[in-house]
Amino acid sequence: MIELTSTPMIIVAILGTIGVLIPVISVARKEHGSSSFYGAIALGALFASIGYVIYQIAANNIAPAAIFTEDVLADDTFGSLFAIAMLIVAIFTTVGSFNYMRKKSHPAVYFSLILLSTIGMVLIAYSTDLVMLFVAWELMSIPTYVLAGFMKKDPSSNEAALKYFLFGALSSAIIIYGISIAYGLTGSTNIGDVIQTFATIDSEMLPLALLAIAMFVAGFGFKMGLVPFHMWLPDTYEGAPPTISALLAAGTKKAGFAAALRVIVMGSIALSLDWTFALGVIAVMTMTVGNIAAIMQKNLARVLAYSSIGHAGYILIGLAIAPYTAIGIQGSLFHILNHAVMKGAAFIAVAGIVTTLASSHLDKIKGLGRSMPITSLGLVISLLALAGVPPLNGFWSKLILFGAALDAGAVAPWTPWLAIAGVLNSALSLAYYGWIIRKMYFEGETEKRVREPASVVAVMIFSIIFIVGIGVYPDPIIQFVETAVPSLAVTP
Amino acid sequence: MVDATFLALSVLTIGSAIAALEMRSLIYGSIALMGALGGVAGFFLLLDSPFVAMFQIAVYVGSIAVLILFTVMLVRRELIFTKVEDPRRRYAGIGLMLVLMVGLGSLVIDSGLKSVTADEPPIDFRLIGEDFLTYYWPALVLMALILAGSVTGALVLARREDVTDEQRAD
Repeated sequence: MIELTSTPMIIVAILGTIGVLIPVISVARKEHGSSSFYGAIALGALFASIGYVIYQIAANNIAPAAIFTEDVLADDTFGSLFAIAMLIVAIFTTVGSFNYMRKKSHPAVYFSLILLSTIGMVLIAYSTDLVMLFVAWELMSIPTYVLAGFMKKDPSSNEAALKYFLFGALSSAIIIYGISIAYGLTGSTNIGDVIQTFATIDSEMLPLALLAIAMFVAGFGFKMGLVPFHMWLPDTYEGAPPTISALLAAGTKKAGFAAALRVIVMGSIALSLDWTFALGVIAVMTMTVGNIAAIMQKNLARVLAYSSIGHAGYILIGLAIAPYTAIGIQGSLFHILNHAVMKGAAFIAVAGIVTTLASSHLDKIKGLGRSMPITSLGLVISLLALAGVPPLNGFWSKLILFGAALDAGAVAPWTPWLAIAGVLNSALSLAYYGWIIRKMYFEGETEKRVREPASVVAVMIFSIIFIVGIGVYPDPIIQFVETAVPSLAVTP
Repeated sequence: MVDATFLALSVLTIGSAIAALEMRSLIYGSIALMGALGGVAGFFLLLDSPFVAMFQIAVYVGSIAVLILFTVMLVRRELIFTKVEDPRRRYAGIGLMLVLMVGLGSLVIDSGLKSVTADEPPIDFRLIGEDFLTYYWPALVLMALILAGSVTGALVLARREDVTDEQRAD
């Protein structure tokens, strides 16, 4: 049985206890308006959790890479890397919500649901059992369905929640169908056992194993926002509270990639399936559709939503070339960590803009550089990092991803085309990011400086330090990512 | 005999599911949903899983469907959304569903699944309980958290904002 002091169980204990207690405290205090109090409690729990993850890594108490245990959870570096990324996003969301939730109803439940969803996200990355993975998937999803529709009087928030819920329920159904087929074929729900059995599966049963993997691709693909499973994403990210869009775009999306890495990549290799080309095609489609659609948007949240689809395409490059070079997965993991901060910061900046200007329409952000200088600076740095401009962190992760695709060309001649598509799409994205920057700094002349939400300013300052810091000195993170790359060898 | 029962259950389950989606009346739709959930319980019985069938009847048919029925009867039933019907989308959806079903069906039939014989004794339901308290215990903890999140989230979404606490106390 998994140890009670292991990283995932301590995270469950801290965030679970606080997550359940916050609404109870709210009922006991008979108070409804104090968002900062409940936010501070949630923030304390998140800092304690990330502190424990970092302590476990520093003390060398976790297994290297991604391991498959006889248990439902593994305390490994792969899971810890995702845990750090998701806890950073949860901290951003919580801090950004201090001002956003002021004078809004039910702050205690709001912060409680963020904590519960974070447990789900983190445990997906640590899961080594399909049932555990599914339960964690549901714990991540159900609170976010409520959070997306938290502004009950706002029709766009209701629409966002309904679309997200319907597509989320469909993706859960597809995943459970995949799990049932995998269990039927192998007699086990342990991912390690399933992969081992897949490696020696009878040729007559191969189509069913293939079907199970296809179900996982479709099910996880919905959350990852891969084309053609992305239809729900722009409306949801635009309609949901912007702080929650940050959680969805930078957190739940990454959980989909964690699940995909544990199950799809390992499963495909076990089945000796050449999925690489299919994943490569999906990667190019996803990044191209995301970036082209982003150009046509008039709302900042929608631009970021489509850009998020584009980035799912970049990350998928690493998964597509995984069997040919280990650097591909390294690039994906590095970009996942970077994207969590870049996209999280960009959406929190949108939350700050919405709180102050009551709109995130692109025409309303004219002269934002003068009226909200710190929020604007944070947003600009995030956008440039998302585009991959040096010397910011996004440049290094894209360089590793595209470099790995070129490197894999020696084994698979089509992979350099992924790098070419990635570079062209990055150039395309720079066009619409540049358009936003132009609106903020070179249009509008009469804007006066307004009071910026303090919590948003705090997130902006942290993200600027992270994005520029990692951009200037990326070595420690690259070395950490190297230790988290799963071994792709399957011994039958 | 099993084939005839299987066919009857299939007709009941799929027919009730379609009726649940298509019925204009929410009450009839809820009753049709009970039929679909009951049909699934029948499949579990055919698969030698009486324990799961019992839970399907107790939890889904007996509790959840009845709860839905009572909720529908107790709250206002006028449509809150404008219904926009597009026949082309409807036919495209039916077409996509048929293609998917034929594709999945042919994949399953082509596989070696037909030759599989299950002569092992049914799993003792006590083992399921044991597994939940040993191997799956972290999943059990997470299920409790899912329920906690669902209940608090549902309460917030269902709570009327136009009624004050004083009015509630009265």
